[in-house]
Amino acid sequence: MIAAILRAQFLSMRWGRRHGSIWRFLPLTVWYLFWLASAVFAFFLAREADLVFLRRDLPIGFLGVTVYWQFMPMLSASMGMGLDLRKLRIYPALHRDLFAVEVLLCFTTAVEMLLVIAGGVAGLLANQEAGGWAAAPRIIAPALILILFNALLASGTRSLLGRLLARRKIREVVILVTTCLWMLPRIFMQYRIHPKWLDPVARALRGPKFSWSAAAAAALGDLTPFLTLVLWLLAALWFGRAQFERNLRYDAVAAQAMVVRKDASRRRSLSGAFFAFPRLLWRDPLAAIVEKELRSLVRTPRFRMVFVMGFTFGILVWLPVVLGGTGARTSGGSSYFLVFVCVYALTMLGQVTYWNCFGFDRSATLFYFAAPQQISQVLIGKNIAAMVFVYLDVTILSAVVGTFHLTAGWGQVAETLVVVGICAVYMLGLGNMASVNYPRPLNPENVSRGGGSGRSQGLMLLFYPLALLPVFLAYLARWALNSELAFAAVLAIAAVIGGIVYWIGLDSAVIAAGAKREQLFAALTQSEGPIASE
Amino acid sequence: MPEPAIVARDLRKGYGLKLAVDGLNLEVPRGSFFGFLGPNGAGKSTTIRMLTGLIPQDSGSIEILGYKLPQQELEIKRRIGLVPDESFLFDRLTGLEFLEFAGRMYGLPRATAVERAYGLMHLFELADDGKIIGEYSKGMRKRVAMAAALIHHPDLFLMDEPFEGVDAVGARLMKDILLNQVQRGATIFLTSHVLEVVERLCDRVAIIDHGKIVMCGSMEELRAGGESLEDAFVRIVGADRPMERLDWL
Repeated sequence: MIAAILRAQFLSMRWGRRHGSIWRFLPLTVWYLFWLASAVFAFFLAREADLVFLRRDLPIGFLGVTVYWQFMPMLSASMGMGLDLRKLRIYPALHRDLFAVEVLLCFTTAVEMLLVIAGGVAGLLANQEAGGWAAAPRIIAPALILILFNALLASGTRSLLGRLLARRKIREVVILVTTCLWMLPRIFMQYRIHPKWLDPVARALRGPKFSWSAAAAAALGDLTPFLTLVLWLLAALWFGRAQFERNLRYDAVAAQAMVVRKDASRRRSLSGAFFAFPRLLWRDPLAAIVEKELRSLVRTPRFRMVFVMGFTFGILVWLPVVLGGTGARTSGGSSYFLVFVCVYALTMLGQVTYWNCFGFDRSATLFYFAAPQQISQVLIGKNIAAMVFVYLDVTILSAVVGTFHLTAGWGQVAETLVVVGICAVYMLGLGNMASVNYPRPLNPENVSRGGGSGRSQGLMLLFYPLALLPVFLAYLARWALNSELAFAAVLAIAAVIGGIVYWIGLDSAVIAAGAKREQLFAALTQSEGPIASE
Repeated sequence: MPEPAIVARDLRKGYGLKLAVDGLNLEVPRGSFFGFLGPNGAGKSTTIRMLTGLIPQDSGSIEILGYKLPQQELEIKRRIGLVPDESFLFDRLTGLEFLEFAGRMYGLPRATAVERAYGLMHLFELADDGKIIGEYSKGMRKRVAMAAALIHHPDLFLMDEPFEGVDAVGARLMKDILLNQVQRGATIFLTSHVLEVVERLCDRVAIIDHGKIVMCGSMEELRAGGESLEDAFVRIVGADRPMERLDWL
């Protein structure tokens, strides 16, 4: 039964993999190479360390592994990603078997940690002071138990969070807060913040009562913590299984439906004016398409999440860089800060708007081809809607940055509006081509990763620098010639070339949409696997 | 005599080595209620998609309401109402918003689109409660799809399994509306696996098998031997052989 389920899921994922090409795996390869390097680092650290160092810092290392492992299901649950074994309830499968599948698949959410643990354990085996190969059972057994403990705990955490976050608004808030928390250590380090409570907490976390410290102590030769570790394992097994059972009986659709209906009419009246503005500026069908896009995107959790990230992440990520290590404002950094964060927001929104613009429409894309208008109108309408949200992000960012006096005034705001517009023209042109050539269906409920197909994700790495190059050259001209006129002239040339790139891109996309419409429909109606993992 | 609503000549469409539609010839008279039948995988949906210009044919010619495909594609699209087999509804719009959107995409002034959308919501017994289409049941989605096909008052309806997933009340309502459309002179071309529905509604029928038309004529011609439509269909597609038995079943 377990093998059949895993095989069915594997077979369902074949299609995407076959068409994904090398581009799909490029970011993944970079990611796992990083963790492989971390594993090698862990190996050398564990091999060279003395016993004092190991007794002090091995628990912290194992704690790090546990935190990461538990964070991943939290992130995937809050994004709505991951597995849904409830689909398999129609089969006469024992819940025990389904739980085994769930736990097995939990290992795949933290392959990085398996690499790091393997590196660390190999280092301990090579370290004579820690016991070396002669102590292999004593070193390996606690590590294996810690791995199983983490997988079981992660399964339970994911199930519990999955239910708690079924209500969509809560999910979006949690994902935002958790990702911000993820940045907290970096901000602490950047500002050299060292809260007083940090040391006592660190000491307590090294205490023998926790699973990570018990595993570390057992690996270094103490037998008593081994019992503690086994007790933690049993507790995790109980927690994981209990949460899994509750999840199987949970009706997510019912929970979500109640939330949606409550304030629907009030929301409609508030948003009416916003959705009506396209018909004041354009004629149908363009106005109808823009209006439809605005309505649909605003109601799409995945889009809302990225939109909010557009103006929060930019500030969180880049503000410490601009302010410098001591928190002091650097003039060079701050004068370009607004432009920087706005272009960053533009690139982020690409994932859910222009880079794969039919992604959320999925099979409904067929409507655009059935209705009597040119497909170019649809692409332009979608581009306009994307730009509305880009400029909304820019407006919010300008307000925030202005509040903290991080701009040189209205002139810089105007410059940002122009620069973002020029960058956007290039990106929309390239995005239109990517949308019809590499479409991929997106689940609007899943606040998960990027919007393009594997190949377009890879192309993005190539195209983003290309799209930003003309604007970069304008800034280079300003810096090299110390002339605002040179800056404006290069920017104007960039705008003209951008316009040409956009129209070529649009034309090419229209031709491709006509020629490849069958592939487009097929790609956009592709379904998920039997246990729906994205 | 008016031109036929649909004329397809030697239509072919292949996917790799498999010919989904293989030299199809078809003529659908104006004002007829035309049933297009065939076993699973016979080429029904592919034919409908070619007739609407959603996918290009490999060879052959198509004329819809006197206009040629693909040369006069937009003229044709303006005059047809489509209910495809797959959902073409935008999940994040409400039923009312989608109908208004569809009307405007088909060239109706916004005020007319809104007015007709309200009328169709009422006609199809769909509540305007702010619920998005993504939360609709399958039957409700079919009702919205049919309402969207009606909003621009087309001359020809192309419908792929329009009654699939619709309850008895909804199906009755949809049938009445379709019959009403035929009475006003519109042509309806539909596929359905529910042969009782076809038998009751359609005046002409074509049967497709392995991409070829194997029978085309009036309902009376088809049932000339006193057979029911189901018996005639099973006989024509060669499926009236004795059922194989599996020892364990």
